[in-house]
Amino acid sequence: MGTTQEAQEPSMEEEKGGLVRFFASDHRYVLLGTSVVALIGMWFSMQPRSSQSFLANAYALEVVMYYALMAWVVVSLVALVTKLVHWRDYQQKSPFAKPAAKHVERICSYVVWLFSAVLFVDRAIMGFVAIVKSAVGSNANPQDFVGGMVYMVYKGRGIFARGIATTIELAVFGTVIAFFLALLLVFLRLQQIDRPDNDFVRFLKVIGCGFAKVYSAVVRGTPMMVQSLIIYFAGFAVLSGSGMSTNDIRAVWSTFVAGLVTISLNSTAYMMEVLRGGIEAVDPGQTEAARSLGLSQWQAMSKVVFPQGIKNSIPALSNELVINIKDSSVLSVIGVFDLMFATTTVAGIYYRQLETYIAAAVCYLILTMVASKLLSMLAKHLDAPAMGPALSSSEVAVTTGIAGSADQTIKVDVDHTEDRVRRGGM
Amino acid sequence: MASESTQGREPVIRIEGLRKSFGKHVVLRNIDFEVMPGEVVTIIGASGSGKSTLLRCINLLETPDAGHVWFHGQDLAAEHVDVNKLREKIGMVFQGFNLFNNLNVLQNCTLAPVTLKKASKADAEAEAMRHLDEVGLADFAKSPVTSLSGGQKQRVAIARALCMKPDLMLFDEPTSALDPEIVGEVLSVMRDLAKDGMTMVVVTHEMEFAKNVSDKVVFMDQGVIAEEGDPRQIFTNPKKPRTREFLSRYLEDKPDQVQEA
Repeated sequence: MGTTQEAQEPSMEEEKGGLVRFFASDHRYVLLGTSVVALIGMWFSMQPRSSQSFLANAYALEVVMYYALMAWVVVSLVALVTKLVHWRDYQQKSPFAKPAAKHVERICSYVVWLFSAVLFVDRAIMGFVAIVKSAVGSNANPQDFVGGMVYMVYKGRGIFARGIATTIELAVFGTVIAFFLALLLVFLRLQQIDRPDNDFVRFLKVIGCGFAKVYSAVVRGTPMMVQSLIIYFAGFAVLSGSGMSTNDIRAVWSTFVAGLVTISLNSTAYMMEVLRGGIEAVDPGQTEAARSLGLSQWQAMSKVVFPQGIKNSIPALSNELVINIKDSSVLSVIGVFDLMFATTTVAGIYYRQLETYIAAAVCYLILTMVASKLLSMLAKHLDAPAMGPALSSSEVAVTTGIAGSADQTIKVDVDHTEDRVRRGGM
Repeated sequence: MASESTQGREPVIRIEGLRKSFGKHVVLRNIDFEVMPGEVVTIIGASGSGKSTLLRCINLLETPDAGHVWFHGQDLAAEHVDVNKLREKIGMVFQGFNLFNNLNVLQNCTLAPVTLKKASKADAEAEAMRHLDEVGLADFAKSPVTSLSGGQKQRVAIARALCMKPDLMLFDEPTSALDPEIVGEVLSVMRDLAKDGMTMVVVTHEMEFAKNVSDKVVFMDQGVIAEEGDPRQIFTNPKKPRTREFLSRYLEDKPDQVQEA
């Protein structure tokens, strides 16, 4: 085991620097790797030109570029053959391995990259621009895949924009509301019976802790889609029970409000568990120290434990926003006009499902990537421990403790038994 | 010594019939114990003998199963006593320092006075600076506590406790987490504190400190006080065989201290 791991580590490092070396150092990469690039460039050159192609006016230039690329491939092939023949003394004898030749090869490889890039822009990007132009100007839905997608996104841009705005609103407001609810709930969950409490306070604390536990279990144990339907119809039933007309209820209890309530309440349960992990990672000795100075349980938590616990939880908490962006899509079942609902609407208008749903997937991907980038910048600003994006709710259940961990390690072997049981005693 | 001059005065702490068990494991059985004002009491004993638990019962970090803990005549162990109010007068220093990592050195010291005594921030800071100066850390007032060494952390912890102007200081193995070279800086602060007349209860493995600084030594074994008395008597002529055994093993490890004794 040990030896294989040691053998793997340097190769991992090589892979990291591979792209840099591709351009800079390795002889093989310059000749063979760039040949692949040249072949791709030649393939682009063989594709039909679109109406937006700028090389259409410079045919001679494109011919020169095409043959330059081909020449590069031929030279590389010759170099390869030479290397295979003289594999023993290639470094010493081959003209390709001389320092001056290597220098020229590198400069030529940059030219190859440039030519291929120009061809890529001319065929692929300008080709896409041409498709967009024709699709936008078209009166009928183009039959081709990309054209159809562009046409539908363009024609349905108002619907998509409204859907994206609603999705962002749901995710952002839902996450913020959930954060504050989760703070409240995690305090209920973590508080303990304290000596000065009278019987009424003790009763309330037991009820509060039990409520938090049950809430977390129920909400995390049922699908959000079911929750949204229950909340929507329950709200409807309650309001109609109070004698409101259906139209009045629709004005107050809109699908958006019901969706926001659902996403907030759902996210609260997950965020509570995240916060609990972060808070429990704070060294319990700090609570003891605060209590020994005379601070109450609430003061010790709010002044010492929560600030550190919340900081520990920031990476996992911010992932809740990313998760909410995606999970808000299930709210379309109650008719919330989010991105998913907008996509279904557009797909229904044109009866072209695959193209619209791929467009929706791209939208969601852009939203989540932007959100996680912004959040990681925020986390860096707040000096919180870094963590990659969580792609499912289950990943955020575990948080790691940073604060206090340095102090925890120094407890030496004195009074072991007392230390172990003391945790519950406070 | 202090114990003679305080004859007839009210004890700061009087413990009667204290019992504590964790599940089936009995840690303290029937402890009776007194600390007079200005007295320095050290508690020694093997690991697991209940020293730390006894100390933690004094400020109710551990709830006793039975018995009384009288602090200035008020029973801390009674139900529904406002322990928070009483803890303000009992400072505690922990083995693991337990500084508040989200606050800097000065804020560590001012948090409790500002929160509990409603002291103005300026007054609390002036007081904190005075105590930080006493422990030799005034220059570090604005430093984050995570940047300090162990000895510095423990001295901040002492200053933090002093800022509440306690009547009694509890030390729970304050030097056990420190490497031998910096144990001295913490012990000298404690020595100064004892000289100033602070009432102290110290759980420690530093036998030299117990012998030279304390007015009374309490030797604990198996959850009971096996022997207590004057440090000179305990360290030179222990009465109980268990005390003799514990100290002899200890003194064998440190031959230089045998000569001093």
